[in-house]
Amino acid sequence: MSNDPKILKRALQREKAARKQAEEILEGKSRELFKLAQELKQANAKLKEGLTEKTTELQGVFGNLVDAYVLMDIFGNVVKMNDAAKELFGYNLDSEKLNVTDLIYKEDYGYAMKSFHQLVTHGKFSDYQARVYTKHKGIRIVHINASIIYNTKKKPIAAQGIVRDITEKLNQERIFQEQKNQLSTIVENSSLGIVLTQFGNIVQTNKAFRNLLEYNEGELEQKEVVDISVKDEYATSVTFMDQLNSGQINNFSINKRYLKKNGGMFWAKTSVAAVRDQDDNIKYQVALIEDITEQLALEKQREELVKNLEKSNQELKDYAHIVSHDLKSPLRSMNALITWLKEDYKDVLDDGAQDSLNLLLKKVDKMDQLINGILKYSSIDKVDQLRKNIDLKIVVTDIIDVIYIPDHITIFINSDLPTIRGDVFRLQQLFQNLLSNAVKYNDKEKGIITITCKQTGKFWEFAITDNGPGIPKKYHDKIFQIFQTLDDSKESTGVGLSIVKKIIDLYEGKIWVESKEKKGTSFYFTLKA
Amino acid sequence: MRLTFLLIDDDEIERLKFARVLQKNGYSHNLIEANNGEVAMQYLENNEQLPDIIFLDLNMPKMNGLEFLKILKSNPKLQYTPVVILSTSNNHNDLKESYGIGAAGYIVKPLKYEDYARKIKCLIDYWDVNELII
Repeated sequence: MSNDPKILKRALQREKAARKQAEEILEGKSRELFKLAQELKQANAKLKEGLTEKTTELQGVFGNLVDAYVLMDIFGNVVKMNDAAKELFGYNLDSEKLNVTDLIYKEDYGYAMKSFHQLVTHGKFSDYQARVYTKHKGIRIVHINASIIYNTKKKPIAAQGIVRDITEKLNQERIFQEQKNQLSTIVENSSLGIVLTQFGNIVQTNKAFRNLLEYNEGELEQKEVVDISVKDEYATSVTFMDQLNSGQINNFSINKRYLKKNGGMFWAKTSVAAVRDQDDNIKYQVALIEDITEQLALEKQREELVKNLEKSNQELKDYAHIVSHDLKSPLRSMNALITWLKEDYKDVLDDGAQDSLNLLLKKVDKMDQLINGILKYSSIDKVDQLRKNIDLKIVVTDIIDVIYIPDHITIFINSDLPTIRGDVFRLQQLFQNLLSNAVKYNDKEKGIITITCKQTGKFWEFAITDNGPGIPKKYHDKIFQIFQTLDDSKESTGVGLSIVKKIIDLYEGKIWVESKEKKGTSFYFTLKA
Repeated sequence: MRLTFLLIDDDEIERLKFARVLQKNGYSHNLIEANNGEVAMQYLENNEQLPDIIFLDLNMPKMNGLEFLKILKSNPKLQYTPVVILSTSNNHNDLKESYGIGAAGYIVKPLKYEDYARKIKCLIDYWDVNELII
């Protein structure tokens, strides 16, 4: 029998000791656990605090976000929007529901769905750019980055998106692009050559400039201004350019030559201006180039023409001079010689010979008058006399006193004659020629000549009427041409009326005739008041 | 008083006319003729005795009247001799220039010989009563 009490006793004792030890360990562990629990509690509290902090922080970021922030469930129902989103879309979630599909622009629907699919499969999308409707049917263009939110079990529970309104930005970009296009259209199609340079280097050219120099696009951009200039003028333009660059001047303009690609050159007017940056430093020089080869040629031609004109004017003047001398001298000699014949041989010459010599003298006289007529006619417009106020009443009265008026002819002034601006000598000639014609050719027993005048607008209209033989209609234009006379028996040279016409032309007036054959003639003319 | 005239004119008939006026009026004045300015200048330079009056045509070949007048008036010895222009032209510029250089008179030659004769007679009678530098 092995149940020895001693052994049992010992076993009990051992057991007791082991339990005690176990109790001691348990106590120790328990203490440890408590301590740990305490620590945990503390840590938990700390964590909770931190979380609140983070949440508040996030809330702040969320609210202050400039871009719109939208949070939605996986069915697209919008759960949360920040202020920017509210403003952008015009919805208020407190009082209404919103599903993102309400926002999708009709034509962008396919693109939106594709992007949504990507969001679901990849968990995010970025750089989505499309049109959206706002609550009030406005259309905005937006840029969206979106991502899926998962729970701890990696299960998608929501989606969030950051939405940026890029409507204005795109608009401005479009306007900017449009203006840029407009500008380059103008520059490119300008008939003026336009070059942008940067301190002697060619940066950009337009079509006109390339055409002028016969270069292809891009070729000139590798060149310097000096390469396409002629030495002399380049020096001048450099001087100006230095002044421009140092700020002494803001622009300058010179005429210089440009060398073409395949030789040859042309003259151009070049206007250069500085292009400055925001800090007022010169960034570029812009030059406008105008081909003036033709202009220069025209100018030269014009100069030559003017010179020729001056020359021929002088020649005309000299011509009158020459006519007066060279043509009149022989006449004087003839007159002297015929007179001497008559005097020296009066005992020898019979009546027939004397008559012939007298006729000869008359012809010489007529010739002299013709020459005087030419001189007078050609000197009318030669010297433009100072225009003064001329009282025509005095002018006409003086003429009536001076010219020979036979007793059977009377001149009546039936209107108050005005004072007009003009040259007294010319006006005298005008009235004298008309009046003396009226007197000279009057064939009536009682000759009556009347002068009348009335104002019509800016002109005075005068009429000198006689009761003479009248002028046939077919001559009404002819009589104003030089050397045209209807009378060959009397001393008429056909110069008088041509001078009248010329004077009236000078005063920008008109002259015309009304006449009844055998009854009389009226000369009408206008002079500027 | 017996005066000496120098007539400068390229036209022979004009010289004849002048001579005839002298002759027909019975003047005893002395007439020297030159058919252009150069000849006249030679005469003046080679003769101690200067003419009392010079009658000068304006339009002449080679040296014209105004050129002759300029040379004469810039010559210290010759500048005191009165020069009367006999011209065809009543051109304002010719008149102005002639008097400007120092002409003593300006006669426009008329067409008719009678008118010419009358004018020249007046002219000679006028100078006949003038005091002259001898």
